[in-house]
Amino acid sequence: MSAIELKNVSFSYVLSETEIVRAVRNVSLEIEEGSFVAIVGHNGSGKSTLAKLLNGLLIPDKGTVNVFGIDTKEKSTIYEVRKNVGMVFQNPDNQMVASIIEDDIAFGPENLGVKREEIIERVDWALSQVGMLEYKKGTPFKLSGGQKQRLAIAGIIAMKPKVLVLDESTAMLDPQGRAEVMRVAHELNKKEGMTVICITHYMEEALEADRLIVMSDGKVVLDNIPKLVFAQSKELLDYKLTVPLATQAAIELENLGISVGKDVMNKEELVERLCPLL
Amino acid sequence: MSIVVKNLQFTYSANSPYETRALKDVNLTINEGDFLGIVGHTGSGKSTFIQHLNGLIKVQEGEIEVFDIKLTNVKKPKPDLRKLRSHVGMVFQYPEYQLFEETVYKDVAFGPKNLGLSQEEINDRVKEAIELVGLDYEKYKDRAPFELSGGQKRRVAIAGIIAMKPKVLILDEPTAGLDPSGKEQILSLIKNLKEKCSPTIIVISHDIDEITRFANRLVVFNDGKVAFDEPMKELFKHQQELVEMGLDIPLAIKIANELKAKGIKLGENIVTMSDLLREIVIAYNKKNGTDIDVSKIRKSVFNFDFSNSNQEEVFKDE
Repeated sequence: MSAIELKNVSFSYVLSETEIVRAVRNVSLEIEEGSFVAIVGHNGSGKSTLAKLLNGLLIPDKGTVNVFGIDTKEKSTIYEVRKNVGMVFQNPDNQMVASIIEDDIAFGPENLGVKREEIIERVDWALSQVGMLEYKKGTPFKLSGGQKQRLAIAGIIAMKPKVLVLDESTAMLDPQGRAEVMRVAHELNKKEGMTVICITHYMEEALEADRLIVMSDGKVVLDNIPKLVFAQSKELLDYKLTVPLATQAAIELENLGISVGKDVMNKEELVERLCPLL
Repeated sequence: MSIVVKNLQFTYSANSPYETRALKDVNLTINEGDFLGIVGHTGSGKSTFIQHLNGLIKVQEGEIEVFDIKLTNVKKPKPDLRKLRSHVGMVFQYPEYQLFEETVYKDVAFGPKNLGLSQEEINDRVKEAIELVGLDYEKYKDRAPFELSGGQKRRVAIAGIIAMKPKVLILDEPTAGLDPSGKEQILSLIKNLKEKCSPTIIVISHDIDEITRFANRLVVFNDGKVAFDEPMKELFKHQQELVEMGLDIPLAIKIANELKAKGIKLGENIVTMSDLLREIVIAYNKKNGTDIDVSKIRKSVFNFDFSNSNQEEVFKDE
């Protein structure tokens, strides 16, 4: 079953009377429930606009976005859409609302009118999902970026959405923080069956997804399993993207006449292919 | 010698429950012409350290000499901070968030204006700075910074700093949040600035594969101290300790280690991807009797070709 369905969706920003930016152009997509989808694209490719179309933060100019069968255009059911699709943004410092962690996590379910007993349960559940239960009574302001982003995720999953959208949620983190956030996202996908849509600039993160969508100039230009997308390195360059570093090394070796195959994705594969040759 | 730091210590929120000793006895000399990379995990003190270098944080303990300006905890005579800041330019993380003027020209002119320069000199410097960061002056000077793409905004923000012609340029995570082509553009811009504007460059980065592509010296901060200070190639003799500190090591080293563990003989001094490729080619030639030319390996493994890209397009995505 598809969690989110986009049909011929377009969206433009009107900057002035003469300047219109067509950020998303006639995109049709189906996101399968329970899948882990990565979206990559150059700055300005329209991927963040696309993310905001997924839960009705933006309403398409043309076409429709259906979230579990509900059209995001319908004002009367917009809260149903937002409840199902939770978003985590880039800046860890902009997503906290309370000075005590458990209050921060409770904010979402409180606003949904969830009963007190259940809120208490959900706060504990959400914090343990992201591995931060012991910080419950503390304050978010003294945490690292990675911890803050995990809290932001906890705040979202406490509303029990079926879909989690990470809009460059690791961009401002150090390598350790990035790894923490990605681990949590994959666990939610595997253990809770949550659909995850991860927008990122890190090709190594995209590699871990079930499906990789490449956007350029507002359009979906490649859409396949990551291995097959990264096999098209020439096209990716045209879209101002790159391939994982291990793949770059493999391509260079191929060019020099050492055949390791251009489909090498990570260091383990590269080592495995190189061993018999050296 | 550009900058000499002696016994620098710094404590946040002293005498409170939140007291944190951010710097514990830091000693470091930064030479003219250094292309210095600073690494260290979050909270290691590296940001606190660089903020000292242009007087954003007052010295609590120890002393810093920047060119001929002395920074200590002695209140009088006051150091000439204006002169200090014209010598040491600081580009913060996500500098595009600090653009505030109506036009690109005004934003870049803000710094030189505050240096008290003549209008003519300001004009010249703004023009030069905008062109140095790779934007067409006539085309962009009257644009609103907010209409530009993420990478362009960042370049305008950098132009605002280099318009002050700093001898030392400090950049904190200059490529964070950019797409791969934006990253490459900023990296080549930094190399260009070193040649044409600021001979001494200090870059903080979390991306070890990136920083090893340009730094010639690496300083590692750990727990408020300088744990290592080595020429770039030498640092990874300490790879065991770096991993223990929770720091990443370059992918090329990891691959070399795994190959060596499987009994494959590779030369020493592998740090960057081109080092690794060179050693692989040598080993391959030896085993297979081939003579693949190592000089054919490209320096930047992936050569970005921007000739086709349309940089004029204005998107509003972020």
